[in-house]
Amino acid sequence: MTTMQERRSGVVNQAYYEEPAVKPPPMLAVGPLAWMRENLFGSALDTILTILGTLVVIGAASSFLTWAIGSANWFAVTYNLRLFMIGRITDPLIEARVQILALLIMFIVGVTLAAWSRVSVQVWATLAIVVALTFALPVLISALVPLPPTYLAAGQVDIVSGSVTETPLPQLGFIARAGETITLRAADQPTETDAALAQINSFTDRAANAVRNAAANRLSTQARIAELERLLAGDAITARQREQYAAELESLTVPPPVIETLAINQHPIEVRILDSDLEPLASASLTPDSEPLVFTVPASGWYVLEKSVAGSDESVGLLSIHGIYPIFARDFLRSAPGGGSPQRVFEYIRATDNFRLEGGRPRIDGQEVAAIGIIDHQYKGLRPFGDYLILSLVPLFNQIKLPLALFLLLTIIGYYSARLADRQFSTSLKPRRASRRSATWLWIALPVVAFVLIAGVMPSGPLRYSEPPLWGGFLLTMMLTAVGIVAAFPIGVALALGRRSSLPVVSTFSTLYIELVRGVPLITVLFMSMLLVPFVIPSLGGPDTAPYRAMVAVTLFSAAYLAENVRGGLQSLPPGQEEAAKAVGLSGWQTTLYITLPQALRAVIPALVGQFISLYKDTSLVAIVGLIDLTGVTRNVAAQTEFQGLLRETYVFISVIYFIFSYVMSIVSRRIEASGSGAARRI
Amino acid sequence: MSQQEVIEQPETRVSNDEPIIICENVNKWFGEFHVLRDISVEIALQEVVVVIGPSGSGKSTFIRCINRLEEHQEGRIIVDGIELSHDVRNIAAIRREIGMVFQQFNLFPHLTVLQNITLAPMKVRRRSREEAEAKAMQLLERVGIPEQAHKYPGQLSGGQQQRVAIARALAMEPKIMLFDEPTSALDPEMIKEVLDVMKELARSGMTMIVVTHEMGFAREVADRVLFFDQGRIVEQGTPQYFFESAQHPRTKLFLSHIF
Repeated sequence: MTTMQERRSGVVNQAYYEEPAVKPPPMLAVGPLAWMRENLFGSALDTILTILGTLVVIGAASSFLTWAIGSANWFAVTYNLRLFMIGRITDPLIEARVQILALLIMFIVGVTLAAWSRVSVQVWATLAIVVALTFALPVLISALVPLPPTYLAAGQVDIVSGSVTETPLPQLGFIARAGETITLRAADQPTETDAALAQINSFTDRAANAVRNAAANRLSTQARIAELERLLAGDAITARQREQYAAELESLTVPPPVIETLAINQHPIEVRILDSDLEPLASASLTPDSEPLVFTVPASGWYVLEKSVAGSDESVGLLSIHGIYPIFARDFLRSAPGGGSPQRVFEYIRATDNFRLEGGRPRIDGQEVAAIGIIDHQYKGLRPFGDYLILSLVPLFNQIKLPLALFLLLTIIGYYSARLADRQFSTSLKPRRASRRSATWLWIALPVVAFVLIAGVMPSGPLRYSEPPLWGGFLLTMMLTAVGIVAAFPIGVALALGRRSSLPVVSTFSTLYIELVRGVPLITVLFMSMLLVPFVIPSLGGPDTAPYRAMVAVTLFSAAYLAENVRGGLQSLPPGQEEAAKAVGLSGWQTTLYITLPQALRAVIPALVGQFISLYKDTSLVAIVGLIDLTGVTRNVAAQTEFQGLLRETYVFISVIYFIFSYVMSIVSRRIEASGSGAARRI
Repeated sequence: MSQQEVIEQPETRVSNDEPIIICENVNKWFGEFHVLRDISVEIALQEVVVVIGPSGSGKSTFIRCINRLEEHQEGRIIVDGIELSHDVRNIAAIRREIGMVFQQFNLFPHLTVLQNITLAPMKVRRRSREEAEAKAMQLLERVGIPEQAHKYPGQLSGGQQQRVAIARALAMEPKIMLFDEPTSALDPEMIKEVLDVMKELARSGMTMIVVTHEMGFAREVADRVLFFDQGRIVEQGTPQYFFESAQHPRTKLFLSHIF
C-alpha cells in the first residue's frame, strides 16, 4: 500500500512544447464513402436493411414507371393543362393578364434571389440547358420516333368478342393539316397470327379493338386449357379441385384462330378519301402485298375515309394508317365581340399534336359523319417507351416549353437587374441595400397588382372585371393560399398579442375566437362563410363572389392557428428580454414591436411554414363548396367522357405540383431561419 | 481601458447634497413570503454601493424594485425626487434615469451589437441614427470592444456580451447603474474584463448599486457595503469596516464562510 506521498511522487511534471501537426482526415473517415459505410453498411443489420430497402425502392419505382409509361393515359393531363392551371377562364384577355402576372412574379423572384442569395452563372446555365432541352427533345423525338399507326377495321361483318359486338364503320371523318402525308396500308405483320393481333398496341377503332380482344381471348383460353391440363396431369391437387378443373376443361373450347374466322385481310380493302363536300380525292384497293396509298392533304380541314371489303361479306379488313389520329371534340359558347347573343362553337383538336379546327364537320345524308373521336379510338395495349415519348412527353414539352423559357428569362432579368442596381446604388457598408429594398417593395406591391390583374377594376377596357366563378385550378389554389397567409398574418399576430393582454375584454375575445375557430373543421368554416358573409358584407352576396367568400373563410381559419403559433413563440422568449427592454426605457408597444415580436416570429418559422404548407393543401376543400381549385379540376377532368375514370394520372400530376410548391416553401423557410442572427444563434 | 474620464456630476433634480435614491420602510411579499422587510436606505449621488448576502436574501429583489421590475407593496421608493408609484409616467421617467445590467446579459439576439446599443436612444430619446451610432461606438471603445460592433450577440463570448450590455445601459446616459450579479455567469478570465469596466465606471463618478459575490471588487471600489439576509439589511458600512471589523454575528458567520 503506497502512501499519499509515494503516490503523489509518481506524478511527472512536464510541459509539452511540440504541437502535433494539423492533418487532413484519412480518406474513408469523411466524405460520401464514409457516410455510406457508416450509415448504410455499419453493421450486419444495417447492411441487410440497406439491401432490402433498395430492392423495395427499385420495385416500387419500376411498377410505377411501368404504369406511367405503359398504361397511363397522359392525355388527361396534357389536354387539360390549361384547366389545371387557370380553371375555366376562356377570355383571352384575362388569360393574358394571368400570364403577365406569372411573369411579374418570376421577375420578383429573380430580384429576391439577388437580394438575399447568390446564384452562380453555372446554375443559370444549367437551367437554360434544361429549358433548351424541352425545346430540343420534342424535335429530336419527333424525328427519331414515328407516331404509331392507327388501326381501323373495314368490312360488313359483325365482330363478336365476349359480350361485345362491333361493326366496322363504312365512313369515318378525320381532320388533317395541309401538306401532311397520309399513308394507308392493309395491316401486314399484325394479321399474321392471333398472337400478333392480340399485341396490337396503338389507336384502334372499336371494331379493330374487338378483333384484337377476340384474338386475345382465344389465346387466353388456350393458355388456360394448357394450364388446366398441366394441373390435371400432376398430383398436387385435391379431389375436389380435380373435379372443378375437369368440369372447367369440358366447358372450354378453343375457337378457330380469329385470323381465319374473320378472314382478316384475305380480300382487298377498298378505300376512298373524300373532302368535306364529299368529293372523292383518292382511292385504292389495298392488300397486304400491294403498295400503300399515299395521300397528300391539299388543305387543312375535314376529310372522310370510306372503307369496305370487296368481294366478301364475311371478311374483315384491318387497315394500318399513318396520319389519321383521334380527335377531341369540344363545344362551348363564345361571346360575340360586337354584342349579340353568344354562339355555340364546335372545336376539334387532334390528340397527337393539338392541331385545331373549328366547325366544318361534313354531313352525310343530313347526319354528321362519324368522327374519329378519342373516346372510341383510344390507344389500346401496353405502350412501348417510344410511343410514350411521342404521345405523352412530346405534347407535354410542347405545351410547357414556352412558359418555362419565359419564366427563366424573366427570373434572370430580375436577378441581374437587381445586381446592377446594387452595383449602382448600394453603399459598401450595406452592399445589398438597393436590391433588398426593391424586393421588399415589390413583394408588398404584388398583392395589389395581382388583384388588379386577376379580378380587374373597371367595367370595360383592358383591366375589366373577370368572372370570379371561372377562376380555378392552380390559379385559384395559389390565390386562396396567398390570401390565407398575407391577410391572416396581421389578424393572427393581433390575436396572439390580444390573448396575452392584461385587458380582460381583449384577452377574452381573443381566446374565444381562437378556440371557436380551432374547434371547427375548415369545411364548416367554409360553409358558414358561404352562407353568413353576405349578411355582413352584402356586396359579397351572389354566386359571382364565391371565391371571395372562400378567401374570407380561409383567412379567418388560418388566423386562429397563426395566433396560437405566434403565442407559442412569444411564450418561448426568456422573460429577461422584456425586462431588458423595460430597463432600457422602451415602452410596451416598442418592446413588442422591436424586441418580442421579431424574436417570437423567428422562433416559430418552422411552425408557421408548416401551417402554410398545410393551408396550401387544405384549400383543396373548396371543391366541396363549388369552387374548382387544382383538386377540383381532377374531378372535372374525370367527368369528361374522354377521360372517364382517369383519376390516377391527374392525381399524380397534381401531387407533383403540390409537392414542388411545398418544397419551395420549406427551402425558403430554412433560408430565413439561417439568415441574419439565426446563423450566429448560440443562445 | 480608455483614459480616465473627468468626474462630472450629472444634472439631477435633487440638489447634489440630497440622496438620489431614498427607500423608506420598503416591504415586499411574494404571495405569503415576506421577501423584503422594512428596508430603509439612502444612496447619495456618485456613491458605489455593493450589496452582498446569501442567496434568497432579497438582494436582487431589492434592486429590481428600484426600477420597478418588481413592485413593492409597502413603503416608499424615491429616485431623483420622483416617487415610484403606479403612475406609468413616473415609472417611465425613473427608468430613463436608471440603467441595469443583468446576470444573463439579456442582449437582444436578433440585433447586432450596434443595434442593441442604439435602439433605445433612437426610439426613446429620439436621437438620430448618426448621433446614436457615434455614441455607441464611443461606448464600445470605452468598454474595450469597438471591433465587435457588427456582430450578433451569439457570436461573442460571455465577457464581451456583458460589456455590450453595460454599453447598452450607458447609452441612455443614466444617472444610476444597477448591476444584478453581473459576473456570476462568467468564467474567471472574463470576470476580470467586466470588473475592469465596472471599476472604470465607478472611478468616473457613476452612481452604482452592485449585487455581487466578488469581494475583491467590493473592497477595491465600494463606498459602502450592505449585507442582506432574509429580507433585511443586517449590517452596512465602509468596506474596511465591513471586512475587518464587522459586528453582527450573522455577518461574521457569512464572512467566515467566504474567507
